[in-house]
Amino acid sequence: MQSWRRRKSLWLALSASWLLLVLLGGFSLLRLALPPRPRPGASQGWPRWLDAELLQSFSQPGELPEDAVSPPQAPHGGSCNWESCFDTSKCRGDGLKVFVYPAVGTISETHRRILASIEGSRFYTFSPAGACLLLLLSLDAQTGECSSMPLQWNRGRNHLVLRLHPAPCPRTFQLGQAMVAEASPTVDSFRPGFDVALPFLPEAHPLRGGAPGQLRQHSPQPGVALLALEEERGGWRTADTGSSACPWDGRCEQDPGPGQTQRQETLPNATFCLISGHRPEAASRFLQALQAGCIPVLLSPRWELPFSEVIDWTKAAIVADERLPLQVLAALQEMSPARVLALRQQTQFLWDAYFSSVEKVIHTTLEVIQDRIFGTSAHPSLLWNSPPGALLALSTFSTSPQDFPFYYLQQGSRPEGRFSALIWVGPPGQPPLKLIQAVAGSQHCAQILVLWSNERPLPSRWPETAVPLTVIDGHRKVSDRFYPYSTIRTDAILSLDARSSLSTSEVDFAFLVWQSFPERMVGFLTSSHFWDEAHGGWGYTAERTNEFSMVLTTAAFYHRYYHTLFTHSLPKALRTLADEAPTCVDVLMNFIVAAVTKLPPIKAPGGPGPRPKPPAPAPDCINQIAAAFGHMPLLSSRLRLDPVLFKDPVSVQRKKYRSLEKP
Amino acid sequence: MCASVKYNIRGPALIPRMKTKHRIYYITLFSIVLLGLIATGMFQFWPHSIESSNDWNVEKRSIRDVPVVRLPADSPIPERGDLSCRMHTCFDVYRCGFNPKNKIKVYIYALKKYVDDFGVSVSNTISREYNELLMAISDSDYYTDDINRACLFVPSIDVLNQNTLRIKETAQAMAQLSRWDRGTNHLLFNMLPGGPPDYNTALDVPRDRALLAGGGFSTWTYRQGYDVSIPVYSPLSAEVDLPEKGPGPRQYFLLSSQVGLHPEYREDLEALQVKHGESVLVLDKCTNLSEGVLSVRKRCHKHQVFDYPQVLQEATFCVVLRGARLGQAVLSDVLQAGCVPVVIADSYILPFSEVLDWKRASVVVPEEKMSDVYSILQSIPQRQIEEMQRQARWFWEAYFQSIKAIALATLQIINDRIYPYAAISYEEWNDPPAVKWGSVSNPLFLPLIPPQSQGFTAIVLTYDRVESLFRVITEVSKVPSLSKLLVVWNNQNKNPPEDSLWPKIRVPLKVVRTAENKLSNRFFPYDEIETEAVLAIDDDIIMLTSDELQFGYEYFNYLYTYKMPGDIKNWVDAHMNCEDIAMNFLVANVTGKAVIKVTPRKKFKCPECTAIDGLSLDQTHMVERSECINKFASVFGTMPLKVVEHRADPVLYKDDFPEKLKSFPNIGSL
Repeated sequence: MQSWRRRKSLWLALSASWLLLVLLGGFSLLRLALPPRPRPGASQGWPRWLDAELLQSFSQPGELPEDAVSPPQAPHGGSCNWESCFDTSKCRGDGLKVFVYPAVGTISETHRRILASIEGSRFYTFSPAGACLLLLLSLDAQTGECSSMPLQWNRGRNHLVLRLHPAPCPRTFQLGQAMVAEASPTVDSFRPGFDVALPFLPEAHPLRGGAPGQLRQHSPQPGVALLALEEERGGWRTADTGSSACPWDGRCEQDPGPGQTQRQETLPNATFCLISGHRPEAASRFLQALQAGCIPVLLSPRWELPFSEVIDWTKAAIVADERLPLQVLAALQEMSPARVLALRQQTQFLWDAYFSSVEKVIHTTLEVIQDRIFGTSAHPSLLWNSPPGALLALSTFSTSPQDFPFYYLQQGSRPEGRFSALIWVGPPGQPPLKLIQAVAGSQHCAQILVLWSNERPLPSRWPETAVPLTVIDGHRKVSDRFYPYSTIRTDAILSLDARSSLSTSEVDFAFLVWQSFPERMVGFLTSSHFWDEAHGGWGYTAERTNEFSMVLTTAAFYHRYYHTLFTHSLPKALRTLADEAPTCVDVLMNFIVAAVTKLPPIKAPGGPGPRPKPPAPAPDCINQIAAAFGHMPLLSSRLRLDPVLFKDPVSVQRKKYRSLEKP
Repeated sequence: MCASVKYNIRGPALIPRMKTKHRIYYITLFSIVLLGLIATGMFQFWPHSIESSNDWNVEKRSIRDVPVVRLPADSPIPERGDLSCRMHTCFDVYRCGFNPKNKIKVYIYALKKYVDDFGVSVSNTISREYNELLMAISDSDYYTDDINRACLFVPSIDVLNQNTLRIKETAQAMAQLSRWDRGTNHLLFNMLPGGPPDYNTALDVPRDRALLAGGGFSTWTYRQGYDVSIPVYSPLSAEVDLPEKGPGPRQYFLLSSQVGLHPEYREDLEALQVKHGESVLVLDKCTNLSEGVLSVRKRCHKHQVFDYPQVLQEATFCVVLRGARLGQAVLSDVLQAGCVPVVIADSYILPFSEVLDWKRASVVVPEEKMSDVYSILQSIPQRQIEEMQRQARWFWEAYFQSIKAIALATLQIINDRIYPYAAISYEEWNDPPAVKWGSVSNPLFLPLIPPQSQGFTAIVLTYDRVESLFRVITEVSKVPSLSKLLVVWNNQNKNPPEDSLWPKIRVPLKVVRTAENKLSNRFFPYDEIETEAVLAIDDDIIMLTSDELQFGYEYFNYLYTYKMPGDIKNWVDAHMNCEDIAMNFLVANVTGKAVIKVTPRKKFKCPECTAIDGLSLDQTHMVERSECINKFASVFGTMPLKVVEHRADPVLYKDDFPEKLKSFPNIGSL
């Protein structure tokens, strides 16, 4: 009985095993026996051909005929490109030289001022023969005054016809091979790489300076409307984020969603501004949105975006297809705050760098053409698309972003740990022996340059120093102080006046501070500007106050690049002004640095000892410079950077810069 | 039966003793089962790798077996390409409407063999490269086999080389594709356009509205924003493995390696060689090679024989001259060798020029300036040359290396046009990986001075020290620029005091209750923060004079919660310490700058707070904080913190100057 039960269990185990075997093995056998059929619904893909190895290559070596004929030259009739229609041989030497046709007959005030602005710029030349680009202003469209065919026309070769406002004159002459720079050209007529697309400027656009961007709050804010819609009749209305209806579809006009508001003239406070891409007039809205920091969303633009050749618009605007409204809306709603922040900041940078005034627009146009001529030494894209922009980052200084002080962080590079001291010896002309010793004592000092700039003969003996000392016999011009001497090889320059007095530890500490802020000026003596109600102009004071906006260049650290900027980008009139009124040069240098950095300078401890106060510059100096810049770039600061334990009630032994605290 | 019992007494047995016949029978059965199981197991696990590969899902067929389609001589021909086509006029974007991932769907037509009325084939069925290209698309995320969901269609008609096909018949074959519809949303790949004698720069096959990814476009035929300019693939890329050679000066300054150059160009180049001697090398085809040597892989100068493409690695600059066609496969070889291409082909649209910044990797010289090439190149600074060499090699690795790279870059460009808000940025296209990692991009890249009128928001993190908290609130509220006070109530067991008990202050006071007692709560981006500047203080710091403040930016609050590596946040919450160090790490890592210390303070703590009360005071606390730094540094991968020796003071701080004229006379008075 017992064994029967055992046998039964044995049988059970056996049959179970058989069942398992049949199940498992059977499936496998089935799979082996039957050829695999692609299951319906599964991705089939491109077949793997059995004879793929035998396939021939698309091109056989030596297939081309030996004596390949030159392809025919492209038709020169209707269209032009850069190589075929622009003669760069005239542009050798010092880059782009521009001749502007003088106006004929009566011209408007704007036209006159634009002419003056170009004539004052570094591109200008007065002879049409020496010019590489001949500029024809076609501005006064509204007065009905149209420019006629100029004398040196030569079928338009090397000509640029500049039309700031659309609705231009009827074409009185064939444009031929001339380039056209006009506002919002249609995509079909625009010749990429040859024409230049300008922004659509409103009539009252400021000539110079211009208003800064209007974005006050950078961080994402709750409770701000997502969308502002541009209206066909002008003005804006806002749409709520929640409404899923197509905000720009015609149907929505009749059935406004719950969050839609009434039309308003001014731009509402919104994150995105929807702009139609069909009508060129909408292009003026584009600029308005850019200034306000409202991220432009362009729906299927039919016009070329301004300066699209150099500006990467994907960083500041969104181009979307109007045919996919729901997709676009969803994309806007889901955009990360970090991306929104980046886009908004870029709108502000672009507005301020290239669009805020007519002068900037014209200079940008010329810079674009100069970049085409320069070829390899043109601005890299990074210089165009990150602050301070290509107008302030000169490619003649370097084409590598890591050489510019403002791109150090982005490029992961850092300034050298040494500086060059540049000592200017003006009248009365005493060799600054004590100062040389103090500066040469600094462990960071690489070289000392003495710029001898007075009537007395050069002294033959100079003190022995640990670092090389070079004497340059300069001209008698004050602006020479900021000439980019090739002997200066370090990134940092310590600019000194022979009469200033500094101690070695003051120099050491200030240099360490500069290394943390290489794009700014670090100085010891300060002064500030203020608005003088009584005179209706800017005033200047060197009194010690709680604020300052300038540091004196008689003792200041700054980057070598600012010498290049000073010498090569300033209008001639300003440099002449500096030469005529020598005390003005400080103000001018501070203006340049502030215009680039948009930050105030830095004060380091030290400086005001028992020494004579520097003479105040001529009162109208600051006003003249401010007028030439078109705005006031200077900013006030209340900071002074001291050593960490400065004047703290702790043991002197623990302090690194003890001597700084001595009165 | 007894036998079995007897056996059982001797011990356990697998098989009960029984009749021998039965026993053999059982053993056989068992061994069969065992063998079967083993075999099944082997079958299940061993050949798995073969089984799971795509081969099992895909049809295995021969190209000779593809269906043949006869094209009647009078079947319709598409119109010629429309030069005015743009995405918004010729492309049907509605087909791409339903893609939540912002990725277009691409359909590939099945392969067919086309013959004319007489049975003569229209073209080679498919070339090796086109087969590879279609395979790459089919393996990518873009592929769909559902023709109704597709947004882009790729015909399997191979038009890579125009010389291998019959133009009219190929066009007819296109026109009878099931979704042709005037070529809308169809993408053709062509690398060798045109044919003798005039060599058009775009494919001559009439294609109506179809997009063309072509190698060798000129400005006259390229439809900006519609067509895609692609490289001419060099089959040598796959054959020859050129290891990367670091940038730096090389034996030859300028090298020309192309054969079959126009005699006029060759004369110009040889003139350069005469003028500049050793540093210029102009190579030509070898005439007297022995049998069996592949002539494609050799180049000669007089009697010297050079290996091609290895010789390209010996030159700094390599000439890429146009031949009969503008696009040259040599461009790919040159880039692979890390040689900077000098492109001399007027009006040529460089490959992927819509997204690639060729200024960083090449020099473009107009044909009429060919005699000046040497001086133009010499004016480029050495550092820029090295940058270009690196960039050239990177372009090859990313976009030229294989047919697959070319195909995917093309689809990515079209994808970016359709979903521009999700497009790949300039940096992602152009920066080599090393640059992407090395640089610091501050999210607040605009120089920013928060407007003074806006003021700041103070955030006080508290647990239950109400008395101390109230003193802090009263003190902070005296600061003129304070615009809002936010109390983060970190105690879940206790309710905050009633409204009436809070000190009366002039700015809005808001209490936020948290779900968990975490120190990280201090850096949560609360909706209530409306200012850019934020002051974070502890509830036990009572001795603030109203001038002394420590600022962070609201934006970094945002980062702390959403961008902070996860384990650091957990660590902080677990150890109840170091949240401030973590914040410092984050700010330093994101901005690349040092923090700024403001004003000297010796006695930040209240005198009456004992060591037990204050969390930050006891000795173990300091030890733990050192541990934090090590931990954070390992998570961030680097040590982003920077040491500086300066601190910010008011301009006239401790100067010998009348106190009443200073703006912040109270600083440092304690």
